[in-house]
Amino acid sequence: MTDAVPFLDRIPGARRYWYVGIGALLLVWPMVFGNFWARIGIGALMWIGLAQSWNMIGGYAGYLDFGHGAYFGIGAFAAGIAMVQFGYPFLVGFALAIVVSAAVSYLVAVPTLRLTGAYFAIATWAFAESMKQAALVTGITGGTFGLSLPRSPDTLIGVAVPFEIAETFFYYAMLALCLGTMALTYYLFERNEFGYRVKAMRDDQDAAESLGIDTTRVKRQVYVLSCMVAAVFGSVHAWYIVYIHPNDVLAPIITDRMVIMALLGGLGTLTGPVAGGLLVFLLERLSSVFLGSTTFYLPLIGTLIMITVLFAPSGIIGILRGEVDRGDVRRNVKELGEKFDLL
Amino acid sequence: MTDDILRTTDLTKRFGALTANDEITLSVERGEIRGIIGPNGSGKTTFFNTVTGFYEPDGGSVHFDGDDVTGWKPHRLARRGIGRTFQIVSPFKNMTVRQNMLAVQTEDGSSREEKRDRAGEIMEFLEIDHVADNEARGMSGGQQKLLELGRVLMLDPELVMLDEPAAGVNPALESRIMDHIHDLNDDGTTFVVIEHDMHVMKTLADSVSVFDSGNHIAQGDFEEVSQDESVREAYLGGTTAEDDEVPI
Repeated sequence: MTDAVPFLDRIPGARRYWYVGIGALLLVWPMVFGNFWARIGIGALMWIGLAQSWNMIGGYAGYLDFGHGAYFGIGAFAAGIAMVQFGYPFLVGFALAIVVSAAVSYLVAVPTLRLTGAYFAIATWAFAESMKQAALVTGITGGTFGLSLPRSPDTLIGVAVPFEIAETFFYYAMLALCLGTMALTYYLFERNEFGYRVKAMRDDQDAAESLGIDTTRVKRQVYVLSCMVAAVFGSVHAWYIVYIHPNDVLAPIITDRMVIMALLGGLGTLTGPVAGGLLVFLLERLSSVFLGSTTFYLPLIGTLIMITVLFAPSGIIGILRGEVDRGDVRRNVKELGEKFDLL
Repeated sequence: MTDDILRTTDLTKRFGALTANDEITLSVERGEIRGIIGPNGSGKTTFFNTVTGFYEPDGGSVHFDGDDVTGWKPHRLARRGIGRTFQIVSPFKNMTVRQNMLAVQTEDGSSREEKRDRAGEIMEFLEIDHVADNEARGMSGGQQKLLELGRVLMLDPELVMLDEPAAGVNPALESRIMDHIHDLNDDGTTFVVIEHDMHVMKTLADSVSVFDSGNHIAQGDFEEVSQDESVREAYLGGTTAEDDEVPI
């Protein structure tokens, strides 16, 4: 293991200029690069946010949640049902997504968070699958027909707004949500004693309890919060793509992507899901657009996962920090296994 | 009349057919350092785990500072004033030393700044302040023991239960740990200490409780228990020892 000074810290003031530059680029992105790149931006921002939502429960708390994608679908259908079945504007659907995901995730948290490791992973996966099957046979979700959401200017707040509900609008909506998720993660998990308690619980639950930490309460709080974030993105996504179907918004691949993005980027870090989210999403989308292949990125991702698990369990962020240990593969795998209580 | 800070009455813990603690009745006086000794498997750590809420007792009761705390959750007992460490040192290794200290949750209403100040004072007292911003995983075993003690002190506990504080620690650091325990005891903190090293126990403990096969078989100062026939029986299996001390 080597201690390297991050590149940006070697140049005085570079970090500040880097942040200002990135901020400016994000602000002007859709206006400068047009609709195609705005759509790429929308997808990238959404996946970064989703990967961060998974990182809260998976990375910071150490619970291998394989049902997280269900909350993306719950958010999507909450917005869809509110708009299509009840004629409410999107904002009502957005609020409904938050409330419903909070209620459902709490009910799921009570029994499943008694489990750890692979048992928790299987239980949450089963929950997500049952949600998908339920949505396929339930009338209010449109069943196998899905739902088509309205997107006219009066569907945002109930009265017509003086701008178009199109790519630029959704880009800024996703940007706001993504930055909000990042800010929330930074404040709660990196700068707050709550975050220390979450990490303490992940590292040693008994020791955490012996130090006054109510671990049952803490893990439920993290789980519900992370699920609400996923649902928020699901609700905006539903409105953006206009048509939702259980096989799409409740598909297991949504969870798989979140896990892979957080793992590749760096579990339990603020910037890991950004790096992992960008890498996986761009590899997938750009290989699809420019190489005409929707599967080309899969072997690449598989190889990257193996490299990460074997040599760099701290992911891309760990590599950038110089935390690469090629010599001790067994320790690297053990470290990752211990993180999720799999050993 | 004695001022007991901890009192267990007929405390029993079973694991299937095995009775790990069999009706243990034991009192710890406020301000003392109580040692607990006994052969491996005699039920010392089970006693710790049952008193601190990690195991649900199958019978009996635990009273702390006058309150019946039987069956309380570990975090609630910790906030009430019982701190403990574990046989295997358990730092939160992916966090810095300071973050380890700040993770501790109390109900004393102290502000964030007060808590940070307190963490700083404790780290200085334990002489680990120079590694405050290092990750705990990089600390030596002895430093990790000090960190574990430091985290417990963040609770501002009235009673501290230490499970083998000197195990795997070099003599210099062992001496430092013992000095810290004495200093804290002088300030009024009560200690219950499990320790296999009889030289440590002899110099540290005001009184000693001896466990054997889940039973509390003897209590007294170190010299008394080392002369006790039942203690010799427990350690030597009935063989008569030539010398006067417990030969371990």
